[in-house]
Amino acid sequence: MSEPARRTPGFSSEQDLAKKKRERIAIGIVSALVIGLTVLEANLAALGGTVAFTNNIVIFALINLNVILIVLLIFLVTRNIFKLILDRKRNILGAKIRSRLVLIFISFSLLPTILLFIAAANITTTSIKSWIGGRVGVALTGALDIARGNLEKEAGNLSGVADRAASAVLRKGKKVPVVNVLETARRGNPPRVSLLVVGPGGVVARSGDVPREITSQIRSRLQGQEGGRDRKDGMTFVGEAYAAAVRLLPDGRAVVAVKTLPPEEMNRIREIARAYDEYHQVRLLDDPIRASYIATLILITLLVVFAASWMGIYLARQITVPVQMLAEGTEKVASGDLDVRLDYRSNDEFGNLVGSFNRMTADLKEMKKSLEDANISLSATYEELRRRSRFIETILTNISTGVIVIDRAGRIAMINKVAERLLAIKTDKVLGKPYKEVVREEHYEAVRTLSREVGEMPGRQVERQVDLSVGGKEISLRVSVTALQADDGEYMGLVVAFDDLSQAMRLQRVMAWREVARRIAHEIRNPLTPIQLSTERLQKKFAPSLGDDPAFSECTQTILSEVGSLKALVEEFTRFARMPAPAFQEGNLADELKPVVETFRTAHPGIAWEFEGKEGTPPVWFDPFQIRRALTNLLENAAAVLGNGGRVMVRVGHEPTLGTVRVSVSDDGPGIPPGDRDRLFEPYFSRKEGGTGLGLAIVSAIANDHQGTVMVRDNIPRGAIFEIEFPVRPKGRG
Amino acid sequence: MSGEAVLRYVAISLIFLGVLVAPDLSVAAPKADIANIRGQAKGREARVSFTLRKAFSPEMVEALKSGIEISFKTVVRVERVHRNWFDATVGEVTFSHSVRYDSLSRVYLLNRGKGEELIPDIFAALSGMTQYEVVVPLDFEIERGKRYRAWVRTRLDKVGLSEPLRSIFFFSSLWDVETDWEKGDISAP
Repeated sequence: MSEPARRTPGFSSEQDLAKKKRERIAIGIVSALVIGLTVLEANLAALGGTVAFTNNIVIFALINLNVILIVLLIFLVTRNIFKLILDRKRNILGAKIRSRLVLIFISFSLLPTILLFIAAANITTTSIKSWIGGRVGVALTGALDIARGNLEKEAGNLSGVADRAASAVLRKGKKVPVVNVLETARRGNPPRVSLLVVGPGGVVARSGDVPREITSQIRSRLQGQEGGRDRKDGMTFVGEAYAAAVRLLPDGRAVVAVKTLPPEEMNRIREIARAYDEYHQVRLLDDPIRASYIATLILITLLVVFAASWMGIYLARQITVPVQMLAEGTEKVASGDLDVRLDYRSNDEFGNLVGSFNRMTADLKEMKKSLEDANISLSATYEELRRRSRFIETILTNISTGVIVIDRAGRIAMINKVAERLLAIKTDKVLGKPYKEVVREEHYEAVRTLSREVGEMPGRQVERQVDLSVGGKEISLRVSVTALQADDGEYMGLVVAFDDLSQAMRLQRVMAWREVARRIAHEIRNPLTPIQLSTERLQKKFAPSLGDDPAFSECTQTILSEVGSLKALVEEFTRFARMPAPAFQEGNLADELKPVVETFRTAHPGIAWEFEGKEGTPPVWFDPFQIRRALTNLLENAAAVLGNGGRVMVRVGHEPTLGTVRVSVSDDGPGIPPGDRDRLFEPYFSRKEGGTGLGLAIVSAIANDHQGTVMVRDNIPRGAIFEIEFPVRPKGRG
Repeated sequence: MSGEAVLRYVAISLIFLGVLVAPDLSVAAPKADIANIRGQAKGREARVSFTLRKAFSPEMVEALKSGIEISFKTVVRVERVHRNWFDATVGEVTFSHSVRYDSLSRVYLLNRGKGEELIPDIFAALSGMTQYEVVVPLDFEIERGKRYRAWVRTRLDKVGLSEPLRSIFFFSSLWDVETDWEKGDISAP
């Protein structure tokens, strides 16, 4: 019987199963050989007493083979029991129930077998004793004595016949042939009675039919009597087949009267004699015979016990092997191995169970594969969505339009950077919140109106210009609100897009002011020269005649002075109105601007002028004249507000994330009031006494012409910072 | 199944135990030997006589009286004795003597190869089983003046149990009777 497959390990079990199968086959073959050889030996042994010794050698070989096979059987069973004990000690799965079943089988078989053994041994001993010590012996001895007595009686009866025949032979022996004498003497006797005359060399004469064996025996017995002390003239002999009376003649011959027994009587006597002999032999050998029977019973008992053990192990394994396989298989499945297939075939419930387990693992594997495929598909879809989402985010981040997405529940789902900046809101604070909570009170009405209009519009899209105040700054936005709809028309939310129109409006204003300036300059410049010339002519013509009339002199001088001022103003207007297109060249801004700062350091020594040009600042395309002019305007303003003290810092640096080079001018002056900042870059807006209000407008125009921007903010702790940003790669210049 | 067949199966099972558990059924007896080996060679034969001693234990005598046939097998070998070389076998004979008791006719049937002899006396029967005079045919003519020697060995050949007992004691020897090889000089002309 085989050992059950253990966890090993892998269901390593194919080798284990093959081993089990081999053991089962071996035990089956051994058992069959034992039974077969036993039957063969029994049949051969029956012939053993009559056949040649070579056959006995064959039997001997077979018996030895049988013994070896029995030893092998015992070894296999014993080995399995020891392995079972070992498995139990190692706490191998199924060992306990197996050992319990085997123990039950052995117990149930051992008890009745031992009882049977004791009973059989007692019965055997008692039977042998009663047979050899009881009346059987007396009966057999008596039967033999009776048979012998009858034969001796017959022999005694023949004595007279032998006497008469001997007398006749002595009387007529020399006159009449002995045979005739015997024939005469035999007359009147039963037919089975014969007469012989036996000499030293053999039978001399006979009358009647006497078997040769009987004749030989009689001769042998006569020879045995020769010279013996008990030799008499008259004797009787008996044998299994005859009774004889002998009369010795003086000449050494013997006359024998023989009566042969009928075959049935002869057989009966022979059986009695044989039974008598067997009885005495058994009596003589009763101890060895009893020992043989006991040994046989011991052998049978052992075989029964071993067979029960084997059966117990076999049945236990029938139960525990599939359970153990299932347990190990389940463990593997739990650890993720879905390729487990249990190789156990049976028509019983365990076979069905194992079959179900195999189907289950196959289904699980199939499902896992489907899930993995679905996961791969989902991952691809997710990746695509993520890519698209990132793409959209990138677009939304980089476009100049502010975008806010509101979901169907009215929560803010997304805000891009531009929207965050324009509306001055923090994404992390408003994301996911209902927009109604986020919108400021003063803006709520505008938002509500837009929302309502979107719902009413056929295309679900509304575009309006909205003016808002954000952080104290007025901005104009072009707002576009679009309702999101799914393919089936389901409402998904809103997309709010807005563009900052402030810069564009400012540019429009600048352009308008330029036109105004040009016309004014044109209209004013023309009469100024005749006025100036006429005034000078008046001075020349009437000054000598009027002498020292102060009124005339002051008036003409005032006219000339105001005309000069108007000319200067017209010239300024003209320059603003006719700003030439920039002559771009690539260069380093810091190198270009540093001399400007040096000029102001010389002109205004009371102010601390500082310049910082950061290394690594990339070259940009710019018009050197206009750039120097823009910086000059900014520094003039700074010098004007600082007077004869203070500090001005000029920095030129690179903003890699924005792709710009930034020029900032900071001072520690009084700063710019928030209310003035919107109009600061408009022409003719000036808080400076005597200022034309064109300095910062020109700065703004130059920045715009360079595709850049200009802005102002507070300097901490005091003062203002003006920043001009130039793109590193302006449009049209790669 | 007849009782005889059952007995036969039991006997076979017993044989299995012969190796494993069965006790040794042979009865220890005094070691038998052979004495008085004498011989006389002439022509192409040698006449050898000897006596088998201590062959019959009391148990064997009892068994004999119980009708068990006892047979001895004897080997007689005649060798030419060389002084400086190996001795050479010049003749060998193997024969059996048996005796059994006939309880009906109360005689011992002694068989010494010349038919059964019916002997009423046990002593005469035992004497017939232990006194031997054997003629050994020789391969060669006896050489004058050379030395010859007879080697004799006897062992229990067969114990004639009744058939059921024969099955039981098929491979169990009831008695262990076997002599060593004994030798005796043979006189030659």
